[in-house]
Amino acid sequence: MNEEYEVRDFASTGGEVLLFTIDGVIYGIEIKYINEIIGYEDITIVPKVPSYIKGVINIRGQIVPIISVRKRFGKEEIPPDERTCIIVLEFEGSNQVGIIVDRVREVTTAKPADICATPQHRNVNANHYIKYIIEDDSGIKLLLNCEKLVLELEN
Amino acid sequence: MAKFDQGMESMVDTYIFETTSLLEQLDQILIRTESESTFGEDEINEIFRIMHTIKGSSAMMGLDNMSHLAHAVEDMFYIVREDKPVIKDTRTLYDLVFTASDLLKAEIDIVQDEDTPPTDFSEHMRRIRDYAAVLKGIVPEASERPAATEQYNSFDPDEMVEVTVVGDSMINALVTFDDDTSMANMRALLVVNNIRDKCDKLSFIPEDIESNADSAADILKNGFKVSFAPCAGVTKDDVINLISQTMCVKSCEILPSSDTKKVPAHTLTTVRVMFEPDCKMENLRAMMVVNNIHDDCELLAYYPENIETDQNTAQHIKTDGFIIRFKANIPDEEIFRTIGETPSVRSVDEVTLERSSADKKSTQSAADSNQASADAPQAGQVQSSQQPTGQQSAVKKHSDKKQSLISVNLSKLDQLLNMVGEIVIAEAMVTSNPDLRGLKLDNFQKAARQLRKLNSEMQDIVMSIRMVPISGAFNKMTRIVRDMKVKLGKDVDLVFEGEETEVDKSIIDSLNDPLMHMVRNSMDHGIEEDPQDRINAGKPAKGKITLSAYSSSGEVVIIVSDDGAGMDPQKLLTKAEKNGILTKPRSEYSDKEAMNLIMLPGFSTNEKVTEFSGRGVGMDVVKQNIEKLGGTVSVDSKPGQGTSFIVKIPLSLSIVDGMEVSVGNSIFTIPINYIKESFKLKPNQLLTDTDGHDMIMIRGECFPLIRLYELYGLEGAQENLYEGIIILAEADGKSACLLADGLMGEQQVVIKPFSPLLNNFGVKQNGMSGCSILGDGSITIILDISNIITDM
Repeated sequence: MNEEYEVRDFASTGGEVLLFTIDGVIYGIEIKYINEIIGYEDITIVPKVPSYIKGVINIRGQIVPIISVRKRFGKEEIPPDERTCIIVLEFEGSNQVGIIVDRVREVTTAKPADICATPQHRNVNANHYIKYIIEDDSGIKLLLNCEKLVLELEN
Repeated sequence: MAKFDQGMESMVDTYIFETTSLLEQLDQILIRTESESTFGEDEINEIFRIMHTIKGSSAMMGLDNMSHLAHAVEDMFYIVREDKPVIKDTRTLYDLVFTASDLLKAEIDIVQDEDTPPTDFSEHMRRIRDYAAVLKGIVPEASERPAATEQYNSFDPDEMVEVTVVGDSMINALVTFDDDTSMANMRALLVVNNIRDKCDKLSFIPEDIESNADSAADILKNGFKVSFAPCAGVTKDDVINLISQTMCVKSCEILPSSDTKKVPAHTLTTVRVMFEPDCKMENLRAMMVVNNIHDDCELLAYYPENIETDQNTAQHIKTDGFIIRFKANIPDEEIFRTIGETPSVRSVDEVTLERSSADKKSTQSAADSNQASADAPQAGQVQSSQQPTGQQSAVKKHSDKKQSLISVNLSKLDQLLNMVGEIVIAEAMVTSNPDLRGLKLDNFQKAARQLRKLNSEMQDIVMSIRMVPISGAFNKMTRIVRDMKVKLGKDVDLVFEGEETEVDKSIIDSLNDPLMHMVRNSMDHGIEEDPQDRINAGKPAKGKITLSAYSSSGEVVIIVSDDGAGMDPQKLLTKAEKNGILTKPRSEYSDKEAMNLIMLPGFSTNEKVTEFSGRGVGMDVVKQNIEKLGGTVSVDSKPGQGTSFIVKIPLSLSIVDGMEVSVGNSIFTIPINYIKESFKLKPNQLLTDTDGHDMIMIRGECFPLIRLYELYGLEGAQENLYEGIIILAEADGKSACLLADGLMGEQQVVIKPFSPLLNNFGVKQNGMSGCSILGDGSITIILDISNIITDM
């Protein structure tokens, strides 16, 4: 219910979106989730968790789990280079999670007119990681559903 | 004789603390609503609740006078709440409640003083009841009362006025010395010196002991009189003890202090207070004025005198004003201001004393003006001269009996604890800084050791601040047992053992629910229905439930046990089979496993659902709550002898001494209290069983081997048993050997919980209790040894 409301909210108001690329595709995350962007650093492995959780890092005394978006999307992982970034997201209850992305592009403002819904088809976007599609002059961006991406357990 | 019931001594501090904070809360509500002059429903309920609580706890302490007063107020608010009368005279209502609050506070202050008898509140209670009757509409609003005839318009400066000595923080003691004491004056001086820094005010007779050797004889004959006011935090007994301990002092007895004395009127400041024309109950308002300035006055008198008891004085005050004479500890202007600020006071006029003339000098007119006029003191008054320390004595006197507890927001303590944790990390960052490696720094090491010692002391203190005895949680169970005893008709004793065991506050809070479920369970299922069954089984007819607590190696163990019928594992298994919650063939369940079935959701041994249990949620909730605290719960039962629930909870949630071990690229921390020894394996110690499991033989005992790299699927670790290090660890009475690459060193680590994301994947169930940050900023994972060993 809450989530639906939020979806409608963003579609009607638009807003700022941070763009990044993974495997050449441009994705976006609503700016409200983003705490900071840091360069890639060594990750401490936590055993016995799903493979897309790479481990934890220490951000100023906070221990933050790190998710590989590539792995989450079932893509091949690549060794980190100097453009690899960790985007630190914050959810309710100061619950922080970092996601590894290939590179961060820019912050753009999505206008309501440019936002379109995802197709409702069970084979497409089966995991609902995509919340919206933004299409403007510069191309197509996929707006990610952060809660689903990070918090939802894999079946 | 103490005023409160015997056996309640331990509760006195808590009682004082709670009641004081409740009264403070009450005052806040009153002050807030008074300024808005409306009572919301919430406020009424809140006041009702406060009074109800005070009534209950006072009654529990055996302080009947306070309990009755609170009851009267509660009754009044009951009318306010239920009948919702149109309150015309809200002032009176406020006054009554404020006065009640003040009376209760005053009584709290003296509650520990065994010498003062309990105050009689019946007068104020009668007034509250009268007003309640008015509210109920039984009695019409107070009408005009007959006017008083006396006149107070002339004041004779030489008239002797009987005044109450208020600032009588001075205690008079008569010190006598041994008969053959030589230089008694010097001994007396010794006495004075001994108690000087414990007293705010100090005077003595004879005064010239230091300079006049002849005073010695006088002292021997008449004794040495000391008047003193103890400092805050010092009781008069402390001072008396000090005096008595002085050499050659034979005795030291307290002289009764005179409450009233006569002084010439011209030494006092006289004021006339007029109230707002339509404020009603002037006598009570006058009483409030007196109460307000009471503490700041050394001497105090007022006319009419019987304002508290005689309602007729109201009319008199209305027409002629309320006369107060005082000698203040603080500048008179402050007193004027205090009076002026009292609700409903219209004006405060200073009265110049002249023979048979009534010359009034107006110093202040509007009650709402907070400005006291600067030219208040007039000729004709003798300004009271005091010692410089005298000003605070009245205030300090009151703090003497105050409870020594303060309430602190738990979140602040959490912050403090976090901060200490950060300091521990920072200390490690400095002392095991990689830059220092290989350097020989004697002085640095010394300083570092000192820092470490101080840090660990600070840690202990911060921990101890958060520690509270578990008795609070236990005591709550008394009530539950009592209620259930009545409802179930079972006769049961509740026994506590080790209730003084201290546990972190946050743990206590979450312990109440599980404890309640376990006690209910024992009452309902444990103890036999029929006492005859018990007697047949060779047990006393009266059942017994024992709550015990003790701490062992960083854990608190809490046991709820009953001496009831116990549980039959086979019955439990049959039941579980019927409910379909068995996960493996019935024959594979051990007795212990069968017992623990009762912790599963949806399992209830009771045939019928009762008020107390049977829905099959209880023990499941217990298990969940305890596990949330990082603890474990297990059941032990012998048919016919009773059942025990054993709860183990980590004593403190945050800092452990740990041994860092490396496995491949990872660093794990093993809490040191689990480690028995570590060693290099010798070939003759290794055994392999027929299933290919390795075992290690140490001094004739055989232990299973757990390879950490294998357990956690880590790569690049030392797989050769003889190259790595073997750590013998023990938890819950079980031992095992762990294989790691090497030991990295011992360090205190601060446990940081895993993020909720990781908890979703059961890191706890996999033997990891949290993580921590090491001196170099890297992260180590803290192993939960008991989980690893028991899961083997």
